[in-house]
Amino acid sequence: MLFAQNRRDFLKIATATPFVPGSLGAMGELALCCEDKSIRSMCEMCSSRCPMEARVVNGKVVALQGNAYDKAMGTSLCARGVAGISQLYDEQRLTQPLIRVGKRGENKWRVVSLEEALEYIATKLNHLKKTYGARSVIFSSKTGESYDMLRSFAYAFGSPNVFSHWSSCPIAIESAFEHTVGETMHRDFENANYILNFGHNLFEGLDIPLTKAMARFASNPSKKLVVFDPRFSLMASKANEWYPIKAGSDLAFVLSLLHVWIRDGKYDKNFVQHYTIGFDKLEKALKESTPQWQERLTGIEAKVVERIADEVYQAAPRCIIDWGHKATTAPSEYQRSRAILIANILMGNVEKRGGIYFPKSAKCINAISFDEIIPTLNEAYPRIFPNEERLDGAGQHGSYVFVPKEHGVLQAIPEAILSQEPYTIKGWFLTRHNPLITLAHPQKMKEAMQNLEFIVVNDIYLSDTAMMADVVLPEATYLERDEGIRDQSDKVPCYTMRNRVIPSLHGTKSALEILRSLAQKLGVDHNYRWDTMAKLRVHQAKGNDAFLEVLLRRGVATFGIPELFLRESKDVERFVEHYPKSKALLCKEGCFSHFFHTLQTPSGKIEIFCEKVEKIFEGYGLPCAVDMDVTQGYPYVLTSGKSAIHTNGHTHNVPYLHQLMSDNPIWMHPQTAKVHGLKMGDTFYVENGISKEKATVFITEGIRPDTLFAYMGFGRDAPSLKRAHGKGLNPSKLLSLRSAPVCGSMITNVGVKITKV
Amino acid sequence: MGKAYRLLYDENACIGCQACSVACRVEHGVPEDFFRLQVRMELKGVFPRLGMSYERMACVMCEDAPCVSVCPTFASFQDKDGLVHIDERVCITCKYCILACPYHARFINPLKNVVEKCDFCYESRVSKALLPVCVSICPTEALMFGDMNEHDSLVYETSHKEALIFPKAHLKTKPKVAFLPKRKGMKS
Repeated sequence: MLFAQNRRDFLKIATATPFVPGSLGAMGELALCCEDKSIRSMCEMCSSRCPMEARVVNGKVVALQGNAYDKAMGTSLCARGVAGISQLYDEQRLTQPLIRVGKRGENKWRVVSLEEALEYIATKLNHLKKTYGARSVIFSSKTGESYDMLRSFAYAFGSPNVFSHWSSCPIAIESAFEHTVGETMHRDFENANYILNFGHNLFEGLDIPLTKAMARFASNPSKKLVVFDPRFSLMASKANEWYPIKAGSDLAFVLSLLHVWIRDGKYDKNFVQHYTIGFDKLEKALKESTPQWQERLTGIEAKVVERIADEVYQAAPRCIIDWGHKATTAPSEYQRSRAILIANILMGNVEKRGGIYFPKSAKCINAISFDEIIPTLNEAYPRIFPNEERLDGAGQHGSYVFVPKEHGVLQAIPEAILSQEPYTIKGWFLTRHNPLITLAHPQKMKEAMQNLEFIVVNDIYLSDTAMMADVVLPEATYLERDEGIRDQSDKVPCYTMRNRVIPSLHGTKSALEILRSLAQKLGVDHNYRWDTMAKLRVHQAKGNDAFLEVLLRRGVATFGIPELFLRESKDVERFVEHYPKSKALLCKEGCFSHFFHTLQTPSGKIEIFCEKVEKIFEGYGLPCAVDMDVTQGYPYVLTSGKSAIHTNGHTHNVPYLHQLMSDNPIWMHPQTAKVHGLKMGDTFYVENGISKEKATVFITEGIRPDTLFAYMGFGRDAPSLKRAHGKGLNPSKLLSLRSAPVCGSMITNVGVKITKV
Repeated sequence: MGKAYRLLYDENACIGCQACSVACRVEHGVPEDFFRLQVRMELKGVFPRLGMSYERMACVMCEDAPCVSVCPTFASFQDKDGLVHIDERVCITCKYCILACPYHARFINPLKNVVEKCDFCYESRVSKALLPVCVSICPTEALMFGDMNEHDSLVYETSHKEALIFPKAHLKTKPKVAFLPKRKGMKS
């Protein structure tokens, strides 16, 4: 360990002189004094965290591209990633801290120094803590470094009420993982031969390595892609077959698929017998879920289920039944996600190339090799959960007992504030979070926010949510800030690090720096082992400066570990050759199958039947046909989704992206438009029990006649977003705050009617 | 020997994400609401029998280039490798070339008051042995670029393996850009 003396040297490099990692530098040329340099970092124009590279000429960022040190990236980057430049230099960005002077939401502000803003926040937070208790303050953030830090800060402050974006995004599948296999799994799209896709739109919700793998798969004529989506998405356009399935009914299709496999004995019997529990119960539960039964629910013919079931089985184990990413479609979301996961398990594709797999983190590889071959990280964001009841009971009791207490249920916030049940809520600190756009029923949330005494929003734009704040903190964009090391392991162990590309243009700070200062001001920072970004990194890396230097120069660190699927004997053989001690774990098939007896589930096995869920939510321990209605008696279902141009509630005011897509007219089938006498571009009302909103119509053959579709993130109500303000419909305004059973997921398919203006 | 540049666009891999278009804007400072390069998508068919066509819209670098022959001031010209360029110093924005171009690839840059179009990133990248920025940035590797005189190049190998479509081939302009038509979904 080089810790003691080199740590000081490293700090000198990292903090005092402009240490410039770059391609020219890496080649050993005299790049350090050059005006043209490349810096590797990590994108944040969405949440995919793609490794990227910035070219800086004379202190100005001139181009962004993928970081080719990550082989899955190459130099590729999406439109949003490339447009990061126009966000950085956008004159509509927040540049100075603001304190509210008018009524809440009135958009009247006083410009203050960061020091004054932080002092004010510290005073107000202390006041709330003294008056109502620390638990009266909510903390929320999109997951990532700022979330890790915010959670640590909130717990140290004494509040249990930390919320991530999970309940409005991936919580259903994350719950399904936890209850079925004990941890998150990934999909090997590129090597699969057959993929069933239930609306996971990787060609519009981009994650470069995944999207690239999917594009290679889809464009390969010898492979088969079948897409189920009420809308003819870009994924559907690349498929061999597209089925315009009825919104909310994916579960019925998957249940009948399982039924056919079990009926015909077409599943991996050996895998199911050895590594799973509860198959017998599943067999009984699915007796009635026939292909004929699902016809009425999905609108897909029974013979299609029969044929697809057989084709997938023939392709197994090189097949994937894809579970999607932002899975918030229907109240059945938990059952849908579990059924899809179990479909994969029945095909025996677990830890097979072209199937699904557990990420191979440093911890996993070190455990198998019985060695410390990959560096592991120190915890930088200490978190001791305060012994307090959460406002939503997440992870503690009640309807949300199975929701992780670190993530919570955002939909529960407005009611808790308005009813003051289970206790008084008076403050909210948000960073990288815009719930008035991304969360159901923003009207109600706004009303609840009016009842708060103190709101802080940290953002790069004066967003819809920032408008409601008492203090707005201008954050440094991702190109202007250093962050800690992040584990981004996939098929092999991998770490990434966000490196500052240029000094902050307006002297703005990162969420990490802001919260670290606040922790100090509030006297709750005794658990932090760092006070600057450089020290944070050294602490995380356990003083391993060679490792840190790689991350500084390359932005990404991999370790030459060969790909390892635990049930591919060739992979295992190669791994044992490299790391002979791992031989001790070989099973008689020459694989590392021991792993499937020691999963992080109550039984240690894959749980097709989940007893702990059954005990509290009767009937939910097994996949079954429940909660599929998304119409609530209305004639149409409004659905929403991502585009490749914009990210959730974030990018709609970014100049280059706004130029490409500035509005979201609602997709409607020509037949439906005719019924309501609408022509392309006409305005109409979309209405349900929650709201009545004006929208414009986009008439297209690419959608079911009973379904409408809106790209999300539009309908901004924030005058400071001068480009995006007032354009399009915010579909969240028609959504109910009701959550999906068990997992607590938001539900984004909703029944509506159409009325003429 | 001069270069025989070719750019291949694979409609099977393209997802219409516009990363190429934004990267081109950044690389060349293309003014707001103008494009040197775009991917256009068109939905075809009747529900539920649908298909989507994807098409790269940009200069195709004709060997027999109408824009060059109509230019009265020789501002539009071909270099030694047959790439079509615009000499901004002599362009008088008479728009003959804009009308003559069958690919609608040209526009007047209102900031510079000259005609502009895709130049394969010749000056900023290709002449420095870098790929055009659209090729380099593409998230799905739908674009390939190289020299057909080099028989081990990806463009040479792909051109000899796949059935290529040359845009508006009937006009006999002999483009250096070729498309790999789609294999899946409804034919457009």
